[in-house]
Amino acid sequence: MTRATRRRLRAGGVYAALLVVTLVMCFPLLWAVLTSVRPNDEMLSVRLVPQRVTDAHYRALLTGRSMYFEAGAGTYRASTAPSQHFLSWFANSTLVTLATTVLSVAVSTLAAYSVTRFRFPGQSFAPYFSLLGYMTPSIVFVFPLFVTIVALGLADRLPSLVLGYLSITLPFSLWLMWAFLRSIPLEVEEAALIDGASRFQVFRLIVIPLAVPGIVATAIFSFIVAWNDYLIARIFINSITQLPLTVGVMHFFEGTHVDWGLMMAAAVLITLPLAVLFMFVQRQLVVGFGAGAVKG
Amino acid sequence: MRRRRELSDRQLGVLFLLPFVVLSLGFVVYPALDAIRLAFHSKLPFRNSFTFVGLDNFRYLRDDPVFWAAAWQSCVWTGASIVLQTVFGVAIALLLHQAVRGINVFRGLLLFPYMVPTVVIALICRWMFNPELGIVNAVLKGSGLVRGEVYWLSDPTWAMVSTILLNVWKFTPFVVICVLARLQTIPVEIVEAAQVDGAGAWRRFLHITLPQLKAVLAVVVVFRTIWTFNKFEEIYLLTRGGPGTSTFNLAVYAFEQATANLKLGVAAATGVVMLTLLFAGSVFYLRLIRQQEAV
Amino acid sequence: MNRRQFLATTTAGALTQWPRRASAQAKTGTVRVWGEPGPYGAVAVDGMNEWAQKNAPGLKFAIETIPWSDVYPKLMTDLAAGRPAHCISVESPIAFQLMAEGLLEPVDDLVDKIGRNRLIPGIKWEYWGAWKGKQYVIPAHHQSHLLVVRTDVLKDAGVTKSPAEWNWADQLAAAKAIKAKGKVFGMSFALGRTIATDYYVISLLHSAGGRMFDAANKSEVVFDSPAAVETFEYILELFPTMPPGAVGYTFLDVVDSMAKGQAGMAFYWGRVFGRAAEVDKQVFDTMEAYQHAANPKTGKRLNWNDFQGWLIPKDNNPYIAEIKQALVHIQTSRDWQIRYAQSLVPNVSPVFQDVAQDARLTQHPFFQTKRRTIFEYYVEALKHASNSGNELLQGISPLAGIVHGRAIIAQGVQRMLIDKQPAKDAVKWTHQQLEQVRREHIRLVI
Repeated sequence: MTRATRRRLRAGGVYAALLVVTLVMCFPLLWAVLTSVRPNDEMLSVRLVPQRVTDAHYRALLTGRSMYFEAGAGTYRASTAPSQHFLSWFANSTLVTLATTVLSVAVSTLAAYSVTRFRFPGQSFAPYFSLLGYMTPSIVFVFPLFVTIVALGLADRLPSLVLGYLSITLPFSLWLMWAFLRSIPLEVEEAALIDGASRFQVFRLIVIPLAVPGIVATAIFSFIVAWNDYLIARIFINSITQLPLTVGVMHFFEGTHVDWGLMMAAAVLITLPLAVLFMFVQRQLVVGFGAGAVKG
Repeated sequence: MRRRRELSDRQLGVLFLLPFVVLSLGFVVYPALDAIRLAFHSKLPFRNSFTFVGLDNFRYLRDDPVFWAAAWQSCVWTGASIVLQTVFGVAIALLLHQAVRGINVFRGLLLFPYMVPTVVIALICRWMFNPELGIVNAVLKGSGLVRGEVYWLSDPTWAMVSTILLNVWKFTPFVVICVLARLQTIPVEIVEAAQVDGAGAWRRFLHITLPQLKAVLAVVVVFRTIWTFNKFEEIYLLTRGGPGTSTFNLAVYAFEQATANLKLGVAAATGVVMLTLLFAGSVFYLRLIRQQEAV
Repeated sequence: MNRRQFLATTTAGALTQWPRRASAQAKTGTVRVWGEPGPYGAVAVDGMNEWAQKNAPGLKFAIETIPWSDVYPKLMTDLAAGRPAHCISVESPIAFQLMAEGLLEPVDDLVDKIGRNRLIPGIKWEYWGAWKGKQYVIPAHHQSHLLVVRTDVLKDAGVTKSPAEWNWADQLAAAKAIKAKGKVFGMSFALGRTIATDYYVISLLHSAGGRMFDAANKSEVVFDSPAAVETFEYILELFPTMPPGAVGYTFLDVVDSMAKGQAGMAFYWGRVFGRAAEVDKQVFDTMEAYQHAANPKTGKRLNWNDFQGWLIPKDNNPYIAEIKQALVHIQTSRDWQIRYAQSLVPNVSPVFQDVAQDARLTQHPFFQTKRRTIFEYYVEALKHASNSGNELLQGISPLAGIVHGRAIIAQGVQRMLIDKQPAKDAVKWTHQQLEQVRREHIRLVI
């Protein structure tokens, strides 16, 4: 066997393995998409690809005009099913996630700069505090946090979620930004300072551009935390129109019956923004997490 | 002139740090301390009054067999998940380390599960593992591997398996990322030298690659263990801790105590237990990192 | 937009959602009404809005459907946040607990306005919720669960005795015969760790002559008894005829298992007929409902009947007066009562005599083929009604709500079914849990 053939066989083997593994890992998502376009009368059949495709489930979610069939009257009535609120949930999730991401990046970048550039007592503890904060499970502090939120009069309001998510993202964001800012050499800043630039100018014009990979990593992390959370929203928010997507969609199980097509359509729509985000920032994710986790 | 800059530097430093400190103290430190305080109190349901009860909540935990079952199940669930995540993670990372064309597409696809909300994958699993209507049972029955239905979510053993599978699916990418990042820093010369020496692929892996990975694997395993032990959504959204209490872990136990039994104090006490275990784990983790950095 | 502006907009957005302050002249705002899943809550709220349009134009009643498993967390978080729903329609055991906790507004002033003697003969206002001499709940409807069977499946399995004449042994034999045929399961129950399971077990317990608490004697726990052991053992015998997933089943799973033709029999409320009509006409055509099989020793054939009504939390509630008037409006309007009942036939059973006798009530298409079944739910069921908060209709114990919130009976049954403990031990364990509930809430019953 020639070297070229061996190499080609090897590549073929690698591709085959990759295909199998990818198919297995991505099957749940694929199946969700296939189910979401499957009409209700085909839901019980086990064909992989449905005979007909329908957009009925997506329409029900995106127009908010969910209907239930009133058997006996033989007509469709506007339903009080939870799915009619899907659009509100989407808006809530978007608002809260954007607010959390922006605040998380801003607050942690400023704090990390402060910790790495200036001397404070006890500042070597900052990263370890961050780590501990990051690793504390939400279940431990969600109930006491809820008591604080109630005292602030924010229960059942979206800002309560932003505060709740910040309590998760801030420790790790500080750690990420601290790692990045620490690796930026001081010489450029020093030179600019000697040339007469103010500290704030240095921060804005020199440090931030250099820290963009870290900022992107922090933004992605905060986005994921806020978009994906269930527990905090479940405890803090009560009114059905104020829920974010994650909690709202679990209400589908408690309506008058289980509508799998609708649920899978909702699952696809919830994942879509993350897929888009992921496509843009794939590379940064590997760099950011790899560096942060391994370097400690 | 320098003194002026130092003063404004200090002021600026404090200003930059202020939002973080305020938010952290108010929403990270205070609730964590309050969580500990609550563990020694009891709250009347439907009313906002707390009474001090000393160690009663902890005695409740000590006497509750469900608590001990939940603790044991936590260990089983975490152990199985970590083993599988590590094995699969390393395998997939090795696969993704190949220099074939289009590898980036596969990298993207295989890392995506990490970003998928737990709710989404839980819903999909509930659908796929539905005993009568789900695709998994349909395939198993159709291929003749099993004769009846497998009750993925209502049999205690299979429910545990299902939750482990969900956890592995979602977090193997994390291991992959870390291992892949490390693999990419292993000097190519070492591997090529081994190839020239005639070492087969498996021996190359065992004697060259694996030792290089030891450090990152140790860190990843400890990190993921700490995380997995305290996970709530991955179990609750799939099985609610059921059937019965067979897939309870400590986080689900705490949640049930707070929301179903309305015993906030007991939930907080469980939280304190989790924090203690977490603290011990992180001390171990930090010592491990210090060792790595020293090397 | 910088950080400060962002904060400002979100805060402004949050603040504008506060209910506006009530003016001296006309109140404005949204009255939040909680109901269980189903169309009838929305129908009632439509009626309330009709009243509001004429008498309180600034107010809008809005329905919020609460899943059954979420009632406790929602109550806890809402009350903790000081923002309870303004009007609630919830399962009676939970209503009884709220009433005993002193969280509800008395509604004695409405009893005469709605009609003290208007109830169908044989049922009393107290069944919905009276505590220490005061009425706290306005009757909305009653809904009982009955034995639902597929007549074609029974025939196919060779069961000739009419379910109307069954006792527990006949029922078990029929379930086994159906299962033996191999096509469908014999019986479908809710046996998950949820409130649904509690109801199933309790109705059998009552038929066997047992109870959880002795309401007349400070809710002393009387669960551990031969009747309870008999009940648990009967469930154990029925279990092999049920879908194995039943240990995870809650309300909707039983509905689906019946409506999709997977089980030949089930215990369920009238909702299952509506669902079957939607899903499988053939199943709907062959389904019939009967009173439960009689317990061989006691002859009782009791069902679990939710006497569901409207209650008004009294704290932090600025709309109490308006809600009371709106309730009187819909309860005294025969139009609205009929629309309410017809929104989910035969789940929603009317409670007022004049409504029950109105010809329009039977003008729903289901009456063409299911008249007998519907009247089993509407009328016959009341003769055999029981409730876990008002056991054997002999008196209310507020502890039932707590029991169901923790699904204690469900856990007890699951110890037998999943952990394979002997029925006697499972019963003893359940008894201990009930005693603990009583100890923790002793102030409610002394």
